[in-house]
Amino acid sequence: MTLLSNASALLGKELRTEFRSRELLPTTVVFIFIVIALFSITFHPTTSESQRLGPGLLWVAFLFAASLMLQPCFLREQNNDTLSALRLSVKDPFAIFFAKLAANTFFLLLTELLMLPFFAGFFNVHILSVFPQLVLVFFLGSLGIAIPGTAFSAISAQARMRELMLPLLLLPLLTPVLIASTEATAALLEANPALPLGGLGILIAFDIVFLTALWLFGEYLLEE
Amino acid sequence: MLKTILGAAILFVLIALTAYLAFHYAPVEKSMGIIQKIFYLHLPSALSSFVAFGICFYANLMYVFKRQPKWDWLGASAAEVGLAFISVVLVTGPIWAHPVWGIWWTWDARLTLTFVLWLLYISYLLLRSMLEEPDKRALFSALFGIFAFLDVPLVYFSIRWWRTQHPQPVILGGPGSGLDPRMRLSYLLVWAAFTGLLILLLNARYKLEAMRASVEELRREAEVQ
Amino acid sequence: MKNLDSVLAAYLAGWAIFFLYYVSVARRMNALREEIERLKSSLNRGK
Repeated sequence: MTLLSNASALLGKELRTEFRSRELLPTTVVFIFIVIALFSITFHPTTSESQRLGPGLLWVAFLFAASLMLQPCFLREQNNDTLSALRLSVKDPFAIFFAKLAANTFFLLLTELLMLPFFAGFFNVHILSVFPQLVLVFFLGSLGIAIPGTAFSAISAQARMRELMLPLLLLPLLTPVLIASTEATAALLEANPALPLGGLGILIAFDIVFLTALWLFGEYLLEE
Repeated sequence: MLKTILGAAILFVLIALTAYLAFHYAPVEKSMGIIQKIFYLHLPSALSSFVAFGICFYANLMYVFKRQPKWDWLGASAAEVGLAFISVVLVTGPIWAHPVWGIWWTWDARLTLTFVLWLLYISYLLLRSMLEEPDKRALFSALFGIFAFLDVPLVYFSIRWWRTQHPQPVILGGPGSGLDPRMRLSYLLVWAAFTGLLILLLNARYKLEAMRASVEELRREAEVQ
Repeated sequence: MKNLDSVLAAYLAGWAIFFLYYVSVARRMNALREEIERLKSSLNRGK
């Protein structure tokens, strides 16, 4: 399938760009770390408070970090007009989005997992026993953040005040992801951990709806 | 000028009509007392805002596929007018809630959804003001508008599920429960009046947008000279 | 009647929002109308 082969080629380019420059990941990781630490200092929660507040604070930190991390996605294609080159190189413009959102999901997931031990330490929660389930929730949540995030990165790149526009567009829209991910994470960190199927269902529905929307409307997002 | 005054006059008539229906015709509610009267303003505003946002969504889709400026004008107008209606909802709601429940705000299902809707369409309008070129502004705001509207059912279901995880007392018991027929008629007629208000405001705002487009065209002409 | 002031406040606030919005639309239209006149006259002068 040409779409998949184009997308994987472009995905390789995205990953190589990041691993060569190493700009995005270290800065994002440090940012989330600082935010989580600040939350921990500000609230210094007791153990029961940590269980209640922790997951929400964690996901808010992820959302903030994603708003920053997604900025360069389409901005850096404006230098040297590489976006036109990209559009010419593929038949289906969705390949460009697919590659970018796969890369963004991967980077987000990577930073989230790197943060997990620090979160466990600051907030005194047990993560090892539910680690695979947490990865699943983080994956679905990161996908949920990355899909509209990549789309809106293309929009905000064309607007003024773009650094503020992206969070402004993205964060209200991500309410379902925030709610579902926070509840799912909280359920997993409880004394009797359970995988909340309702929350996962919402995340999966969100991912499907917006992936379809991106597939339908992606080509218009790339118009000059 | 005359049309503006005529519009304002119609507005006053609508106010008088709804006031009469709500306060004189409809009976006083048993348990809440007179404060229930706020619902005659609160609920029709909410319904009208949903209609406005639905129109915005339709206009957004039409613009993306047809690229005629009139759809962009309709989309922008419907979003702004819808925002006005939903602001009324968000203001009248807490004024009702405080005497009845002792709190101004809570994150129950309906309030959260209304709040998120409000944020989404504020973002929509802000985005428009940050995109200078008319074609780009029309296209990208339409695309954002489409995504925003698709989010609404997801927000609703996610909040409803969230509330099953943390049950809360139902704040708004739903005024449809055990409705006196005079109340039902009042609601219906007030909603009809609000639909008239919606059309009035939409029409005015649409004309404004069309005028803005001709100003931009004139500006371009002036630059060429 | 208790809570009457709340009812009054709600109706005043609600209708104030509608009225102020309508006024804002009317004012923006007047501003645009003036600009159209200005642009038209400068275009005519230029011709």
